[in-house]
Amino acid sequence: MAQPQTLLQGTLELLILRTLDLGPLHGLGIADRIAQVTQGALHIKAGSLFPALYRLEAEGWIAGSWGESHTGRRAKLYTLTKAGRKQLAEQKKSWARAALAVEQVLQM
Amino acid sequence: MSVWSYCRRLVSSRRPRAPHDTDLARELASWVAELSARYEAAGATPAEARRRALIETGGVEQVKEAVRGVRVGAALDACLRDARHAWRGLRKFPTFTFVVIATLALGIGATTAIFSVVDAMLIAPLPYRDSSQLVFVWSDMAHAGYPRAPLSGPELADLRQRATQFTGFGAVWATSGTLTGDGEAEQLRLGVVTPDFFSILGVNPALGRAFVREDEPPLIPNRIILSGSLWRRRYGADPGIVGRQIRVLGESMTVVGVMPDDFRLLLPRDAAVPEDLDAFVPFNRMLATSPRTTQFIRVIGRLRNGVTVQQAQTEIAEIGSRLSQEFTDYGTAGRTFTIAPLQRDVTREVRAPVLALFAGVGILLAIACLNVANLLVARAATRTRETALRMAVGAGPVQLIRQSLIEGIVLAALGGAAGLLVGRWGLTLLIALRPESLTRLASARIDPLVLIFTAGTALTWGLLFSLAPMAVQLRTDFPALHRDVRQPQGAIHYRARAALVIAQVALGVTLLVSAELLVRTFVALQHVDPGFRSDAALSFRLPFFGSRHRTPEAMISFARTLEAKLAALPGVTGVGAVTHLPFDNIGNWAGPYTSKLGQPKATAGVMADYRAIGPGYFEAVGAQRVDGRFFDETDGPTGEPVAIVDELLARRFWKGERAVGRRFAVDPNSTGHTDRMVTVVGVVRHVRLHSLMEEVREQIYLPWRQTPWSPIAYVVRTSGDPAALAPVVRRVVAELDPLMPVYDLRPLVEYTVKARATQRFTMVLASAFAVVAVVLACVGVYGVIAYSVARRRQEFGVRLALGARPAGLIRLVLADGMKLTGAGLLIGIAGALASARVLRHQLYGISPHDVSSYAIAVPLLGVCAIVACLIPAWRATGNDAIDTLKTE
Repeated sequence: MAQPQTLLQGTLELLILRTLDLGPLHGLGIADRIAQVTQGALHIKAGSLFPALYRLEAEGWIAGSWGESHTGRRAKLYTLTKAGRKQLAEQKKSWARAALAVEQVLQM
Repeated sequence: MSVWSYCRRLVSSRRPRAPHDTDLARELASWVAELSARYEAAGATPAEARRRALIETGGVEQVKEAVRGVRVGAALDACLRDARHAWRGLRKFPTFTFVVIATLALGIGATTAIFSVVDAMLIAPLPYRDSSQLVFVWSDMAHAGYPRAPLSGPELADLRQRATQFTGFGAVWATSGTLTGDGEAEQLRLGVVTPDFFSILGVNPALGRAFVREDEPPLIPNRIILSGSLWRRRYGADPGIVGRQIRVLGESMTVVGVMPDDFRLLLPRDAAVPEDLDAFVPFNRMLATSPRTTQFIRVIGRLRNGVTVQQAQTEIAEIGSRLSQEFTDYGTAGRTFTIAPLQRDVTREVRAPVLALFAGVGILLAIACLNVANLLVARAATRTRETALRMAVGAGPVQLIRQSLIEGIVLAALGGAAGLLVGRWGLTLLIALRPESLTRLASARIDPLVLIFTAGTALTWGLLFSLAPMAVQLRTDFPALHRDVRQPQGAIHYRARAALVIAQVALGVTLLVSAELLVRTFVALQHVDPGFRSDAALSFRLPFFGSRHRTPEAMISFARTLEAKLAALPGVTGVGAVTHLPFDNIGNWAGPYTSKLGQPKATAGVMADYRAIGPGYFEAVGAQRVDGRFFDETDGPTGEPVAIVDELLARRFWKGERAVGRRFAVDPNSTGHTDRMVTVVGVVRHVRLHSLMEEVREQIYLPWRQTPWSPIAYVVRTSGDPAALAPVVRRVVAELDPLMPVYDLRPLVEYTVKARATQRFTMVLASAFAVVAVVLACVGVYGVIAYSVARRRQEFGVRLALGARPAGLIRLVLADGMKLTGAGLLIGIAGALASARVLRHQLYGISPHDVSSYAIAVPLLGVCAIVACLIPAWRATGNDAIDTLKTE
């Protein structure tokens, strides 16, 4: 089972972008969604999630604003920006390439 | 976009932390609250739920710290990581690193050395209090061919009285006087100054006091201020010197002060005031009442606080025009005063050559940095696979760009540090080589401004040359690793390097042509006929004032005996006396002349240089007679007043008619004769007195025996070595009068050498720059062609296998080299034309568009570049066809 800290840098960000592609979510919502999609294989902790969110926001790929979570609490909701959408497409491509490369290296 | 967001992140990490923190705290609180709610819903007690939520979160403070780490540390951390990475990379390739750093050190070192010269000579303020308030006052007599003329005593008084924008005016005039007693007689360079001169300048004596009004003598000064060097040399730095009596000009004078050791009187060169005067005496009280048109004092002014040069100029011009109306002395031409900021005026003649050198070294630095860029692109090529791998595992363009930039900065920092060492060494060399005209160069230092400049230059260039590999990388489409990636991006690398090399060759041509024009200027100056021959002649000066021979009769009798004795020496072929030697720094003697007596002199039109000469002078100095005769023994005090004029005056004044036998009136102010008509007995070819490069003013020569000025200079022509004659001359003078000092005893040629010293200096430096530039450009061409040959190894192998002849391959490679060089040369010609235009005022005897200069420089660089291509071309033929085919 993959531990969050062994994720390649960038992978978590890719996952977040992908998650937000489906709609705005707050922090816990993102963690829940990733856990749900990977059937619990990836359990993102706050210590990994928040730095990643900050980084993405600083890059201008996601935008955060205060709103209400689906449970009715005040929470910061993150939305994918236009630049983020572009970045997601690019990262998807390079991920595919990297996966191929890593696979080849492993088979050497 | 990527670079932009990278920059944005760098900036945003520097924003105040607080808003982020509160936002994050609220966000985390809501996260914990929601988690606890979840556990509560699952049945836990509120306290238990909250505890589990906090464990799950992993500690609120730790999370905050992790985010902060990203925010503040990320950019810096990554930079440090990249710097370490770059450093490791450099250490792995010591040769590459050495070549890059050596190239940079050369370029940055040369630039640093020249910039410290620029700093010392053009930027650093003059060493006087609030020196930006100091201005030099000129009398503009451009109508008479004398745009920068001195002022007269009454004019100084008028300025003091009327000007409101100035805190004061001071004046100085340079002369010389004999110091006797306490040892051997010595000729001093004396500055005659107004009492307030030093306070206007803003310099105080180190010992004693400055002059005060009461020091002004009725006639002959009796108070003196010594220079620091005279005080040390002659009086062993005696601290009790103030109040002592010394004998100067035959008078007893009281020492009232000693100037600081480092005091230099920095005035424009054409003010003819030496900067290292030995002593200062006050003007006498007659200064203000001397004739209004006897212009000889050099006036400086100090502006009031907040007054601009423009305002001061307006006021001083008004004073000039009012004086023109009030005094008939000025005639119709009137009087025009102009001021120039002292700092600018002092550097006026050296500004252009120094800036030209600075531009030249800038080009050299550009070539060096292009070379480095070229090497970096070459290395990027060898790293393609590494880069591809880095990109594959997640390095984005931002990371690649950052790494490239950091590598450039690391190289620039190393190169800059090495350059600083080279610069220090270069500066020592420059100071040793400096011509006398660039005295302030001696004070050049690697000071903080130079350090900032060097660091800035290194950093700028570091960023610029890291752009090259960056541009190549960004344009490279990194395909997956399993494809052969060599061909397509090989072409990109080649194109990038070719562009760099073309730029190098172009800059190389620009520098080479400029250097050649300067070399040819210098050669032309060596061959220019200044109207006299400076070879095989010795010159020296004698002061009569202050000696036993003070009356005109005594002076003439002493001179006559001396001339006879010198002429009788073995090897001596000519002896003659003159008031000013060509290119010396004695205050010029110029004045108007008119066709009739009684004409208002200042309106008479043209000014001429006046010189008094003894019989035999023109022969001794090798001047050429155009018409009539030279002076002889008959032109004595009782003879008819006569003159010799130069051909410029003869041609202009008598408009093509014969000058010999004509009469004209000489200027009473500058000859000391009341209105006097003189008869022209001869016409001489113009003798260049002020500059080798131009004929400055018309000349009038009067017989010294009719106008006996002191001090007098002698020229002794010899068939032997002039330097060997020096001790003999000293002995001969001592035999006649042991108290008569002989000074400035030196071969005449030294004055001529000095007259072209600045050109020599710029030529030597420009040539050195050009040589280095050509070498660097050729190394660049070599590198690119070698790279192209290596890249086409298989192609050449195949060609050889198919029967191509080695000569054919060499031609193929050379053709590539020639294409690059040719393109560079063409662009370079345009650059050279532009730089020659900038240089045109420093050229002599050669047009900035001189075809032959280009016809030499361009092929020269071309041939060097082709030779550089021959090595890789030769290597191309060494490919063993079978080997090549096997490896592929």
